[in-house]
Amino acid sequence: MMVRTHGLKKHFHDPKTGIKKAVDGIDIEARPGRIFGLLGANGAGKTTVLRMLSTVIKPTEGSAEVAGFDIQKQSQEVRASIGFMSNSTALYGRLTSREMLEYFGRLYGLDEKLLADRIRYVVEKLQIEEFADRLCDKLSTGQKQRVSIARTILHDPKVLFFDEPTAGLDVVTSQTVMEFIEEARDLGKTVVFSTHIMSEVERLCDDLAVIHDGVLVASGTPDTMREATGEHNLERAFLQLVKFQAGYVSARQGTV
Amino acid sequence: MNDILIIVRKELREMFRDKRVRFNAFVMPIFLIILMVQLFGFVMSAAVGGTKATVYLVASSGALTEAIQKGGLTIKTVPTIEEGVKLIQAEKAKLVLAPMEPTTDGQVRVEAYYDPKQQMGNLALSGLQQALAAANKENLFQTLKDKNIPESAAEHIKLIPKEVKVGEKGAGAMIVALLPYMIVLFAFSGGMSMAADLVSGEKDKNTLETLLITPVGRNQIVLGKFLALASVCFLSSASCLVGMVLASTLKLPGSHEMFKDGFGVTPIAAATIILVLLPLVAFFASVLIAISSYAKNPREAQTYLAIVNFIVIMPAVFSQVIGLTDLGNKLWINCVPVLNTANNIRAALLGKTDWLAVGITVLVSAVLAGIAIRTAVALFNREEVLVRV
Repeated sequence: MMVRTHGLKKHFHDPKTGIKKAVDGIDIEARPGRIFGLLGANGAGKTTVLRMLSTVIKPTEGSAEVAGFDIQKQSQEVRASIGFMSNSTALYGRLTSREMLEYFGRLYGLDEKLLADRIRYVVEKLQIEEFADRLCDKLSTGQKQRVSIARTILHDPKVLFFDEPTAGLDVVTSQTVMEFIEEARDLGKTVVFSTHIMSEVERLCDDLAVIHDGVLVASGTPDTMREATGEHNLERAFLQLVKFQAGYVSARQGTV
Repeated sequence: MNDILIIVRKELREMFRDKRVRFNAFVMPIFLIILMVQLFGFVMSAAVGGTKATVYLVASSGALTEAIQKGGLTIKTVPTIEEGVKLIQAEKAKLVLAPMEPTTDGQVRVEAYYDPKQQMGNLALSGLQQALAAANKENLFQTLKDKNIPESAAEHIKLIPKEVKVGEKGAGAMIVALLPYMIVLFAFSGGMSMAADLVSGEKDKNTLETLLITPVGRNQIVLGKFLALASVCFLSSASCLVGMVLASTLKLPGSHEMFKDGFGVTPIAAATIILVLLPLVAFFASVLIAISSYAKNPREAQTYLAIVNFIVIMPAVFSQVIGLTDLGNKLWINCVPVLNTANNIRAALLGKTDWLAVGITVLVSAVLAGIAIRTAVALFNREEVLVRV
């Protein structure tokens, strides 16, 4: 397994409501050469899970391994093994695309020769050459997204995390992102992909976990989800799972 | 260390491409220094000119005219007192003199009309009083001499001012009042526009998370940002000196009066300025980074920075008038943050560097910088601060 979590929890302190259980005991496993989808509504806890796996925040309880490294004890090794991309392109507007890639390549510890080779590769692969020396602030949304992808794969990570990467993008740019995700899978990468868009799940995901209110509702392949709910349509299957879970959560909190 | 330098280089590259930072950190101090030198130079010239002003005489009087001319004042005539008063009311004349009938013992009495609310009128009166005092004294001494009475009869105690050279050749009073304040001020405000973007700006643009996902440790990230910001704060401060050099070499109208006593930046003064400035810059840069880390976005950061800037300005402003008190020579003043640096720069410009005072100042600023850097690093490592949006 490239990504594995054991009872992963993240509780935040909220001055108004007390403890907020953003993630409450998640167990997932993602394998190389497959796309693992984290499915859930907004606020379900998908981003928090990805932030813990990428070591940006620490779990309150539980553990996880990414690329064979413990996210708490070997966080630096974990970060060296992953690529992370969200719907925000997160580029430095006053750097050119090439300068951005050089900056991140150096931070990932690539030596100058390897860095030059990798930049040449991603620039050609993502057709960045034309605007590689233009400031990122001057790029179109689609161009920015391509630079963002280039930065994500520059150090050739084994594991790729995508946090709602197509949210807010137009159809054409979304296609580019999805094609890239499929390509990463075909190259044997482990892809963990969070979304709430069912068409993307249908198209991309080999394995799936449905999260609601920080709790894992169901996991398996899209087909096993359909079978478990008796729904042919994945969206309906998801809604059924979430409704069930909503009632479950409310009952658990003693409000029903 | 390599990762820190990679971050420093990237931050500086971005900063130099930002017009706001270039203007606030480098153009602004140079422009302000030149402007203030001109302004103060003009005021000083006007003050000197005020004591050598034109006086209006209603009627000619030999002794009075001679005394006024000896005092370097220019004389014009006006037919009547009423017309002279009208000239004052119309702000066309500052001082109108109306000689009265001499007294029986031969004293020449003169009425001096002026507007006490007008500073130039007061200056002209003061200039005239000095001129008449000199003439009266000369007259008295001549009378005493004619009667074989020694001068000591009129001046039992005679004051003879003697200038004592202390330290190196120093700068003029206005330079000493202006430059330390500006140097300290821009050590903080020069970095403000960049600071808001450094961490809170990265939070806002979601680039911080991308940076945190690299293998580089958080301490290295924050130290890289700190070093880049400290460089900008230091260069912004140094721009004040560039402004001074430009103001003195451009030979602008106000420059002569400001620089007639010299510039004051001797090699020792320059070394002292750098020595006391470096730990202060480290302290300021750490405070700026801590604020930027704590704020959710650049707008919130700018609100906090404006408040802190005000706190920093207060001791810096006091440094402008510390020369009017004896506090500048007290050793304990070197324990007052910010003011201690400005006071040591002031002493250095006067050519009176006190190395004990410099040592205490460096120590105090370095301790504060250490505390502030630790706070900034701690804040940068707190996930609830770092990922809150």
